[in-house]
Amino acid sequence: MIEVKNVTKKYGNFIAVDNISFTINDGEVIGLLGPNGAGKTTTMNMITGYIEQTEGTITINGFDTIKKAKKAKKTIGYMPEGVPLYTDLTIKEFVTYMADLRKVNKKEKKENIQKVLKETGLDTMQNKLIKNLSRGQKQRVSLAGTLIGNPDILILDEPTVGLDPKQITEIRSLIKNLGKKHTIILSSHILSEVSQICDRVIIINKGKIVAEDTPENLEKKVSNNNIIYITIEDREDKFNLIKEKIKGIKETKLIKTNEDGTKQYEIIGEENVNLNKTIFNEFAKENITIFEMKKPEATLEDAFMKIIKEGGEN
Amino acid sequence: MGAVIKKELKSYFLSPIGYIVIGIFLIAFSTFFYLTTIQSSTADLTNLFYYIALYGLMLVTPLITMSTFSGEKKSGTDQILLTAPVSMTGVVIAKFLAALLLIIIPTLCTIIYYGILCFWEVPDISIYLTSMLGFILLSTTFVSFGILASSVTESPIIAGILTFALIFAATWGPYEIESLSNFSLIDQFITFLYGQIDIATIVLFVTITILFLISTIIVMQRKKCIK
Repeated sequence: MIEVKNVTKKYGNFIAVDNISFTINDGEVIGLLGPNGAGKTTTMNMITGYIEQTEGTITINGFDTIKKAKKAKKTIGYMPEGVPLYTDLTIKEFVTYMADLRKVNKKEKKENIQKVLKETGLDTMQNKLIKNLSRGQKQRVSLAGTLIGNPDILILDEPTVGLDPKQITEIRSLIKNLGKKHTIILSSHILSEVSQICDRVIIINKGKIVAEDTPENLEKKVSNNNIIYITIEDREDKFNLIKEKIKGIKETKLIKTNEDGTKQYEIIGEENVNLNKTIFNEFAKENITIFEMKKPEATLEDAFMKIIKEGGEN
Repeated sequence: MGAVIKKELKSYFLSPIGYIVIGIFLIAFSTFFYLTTIQSSTADLTNLFYYIALYGLMLVTPLITMSTFSGEKKSGTDQILLTAPVSMTGVVIAKFLAALLLIIIPTLCTIIYYGILCFWEVPDISIYLTSMLGFILLSTTFVSFGILASSVTESPIIAGILTFALIFAATWGPYEIESLSNFSLIDQFITFLYGQIDIATIVLFVTITILFLISTIIVMQRKKCIK
């Protein structure tokens, strides 16, 4: 379990992280979101013990990251942003070094190394020099180093940055699998990635936590329940008449006329009025055929933009 | 700590640095061996150690130590090292020992020159051993200068220049100040070349080394708070 309590990080007068608190339970996959310079990497660096917070406490499985640094670090595998690696080493040499650094039991070392190399799909190229690898392969090497010693917690800073779509899919599915056995904190700019992988999202802006919820709940918060998109066949042009009959419609807008003669409208209803049933019944009475009726889907991206914007205005 | 020492030594020989250092030492040892013993027909290795200490160490130490911390910071690999379950003291000592070993290994090769001289005249073994001890102590101190220099900057070049300046100051600086003229590290080292083991001198070298290593640990810890 990770407990971050009232943590602040200052650089002189500049506050990079401002009194944040959150708890991450065992087995959770958390997405850390925020615009550039929001404090995501600083937060991750403090959790991993790479830097120290100015105020507050961070405990990892009960170990304080400053007072019991070695024990806290033993439970964390960290994949830094930009995948820094010792490029003169081979994949196997690097992973072996990581095993030695993490003090993996000598008897289990060989087995652990081979298991991790297999898990990350590097077992067939383990004697290749890291400098000769592609960006995606390097990302896998970094992930392999993170997994050595089977740490409970994985902290992955922008794990898919710089990868091509195929590599992104591969790394993403690898992380999804890892989420079954590890607690994961993941930072990413790709919001769809976070909504696919993460159980919970923490949005940071200007060093402060501005939202913390499941991706679904965040999406719900910004979804507009009183908007309906409807595609109809309206040969007799009755739509404008019928809309007067239905109570609760605030506004309608023709979006487009399709080639097959159907028209798509946006219907904005009044707050807390469910128009679906009435529209179905009234349109049927007037012989207007409904081809499609849907509500606009809110995405995590919408939620993110809205929350960040609100944060900025405040 | 063992993992870091092993990795550091491996890194020296995966880059040209290890080979350059060993090469410089072997060429310098052979040249000074020829000039100070063969050409002058004396079975005495003390001059060999003196000249290598004076010129060799000043050139080689910055080369060995300049990337120890600054190189890791520059490439970002310090994030790997400093988030691993290793103490800062352990990391500093491991890097220091690896750099020192790179000097000690070729220094031990001087046993070959001792063996060669034995064909003509057996040199005084105690003087040879005290000279080697003094040389290693001096190297220890110089390496600690380099380790500190490398921790204060992200540029290996600046770290190298800083190390050279520190060694130069510790060697020649005291001559410029009358009250400190006896404290030149080379002068302190010379006592070993006479076959003497001066405890005060050993304490001086060890104290300076510990002081610089502790300073490195403080600098690195401080960086965790300000970076």
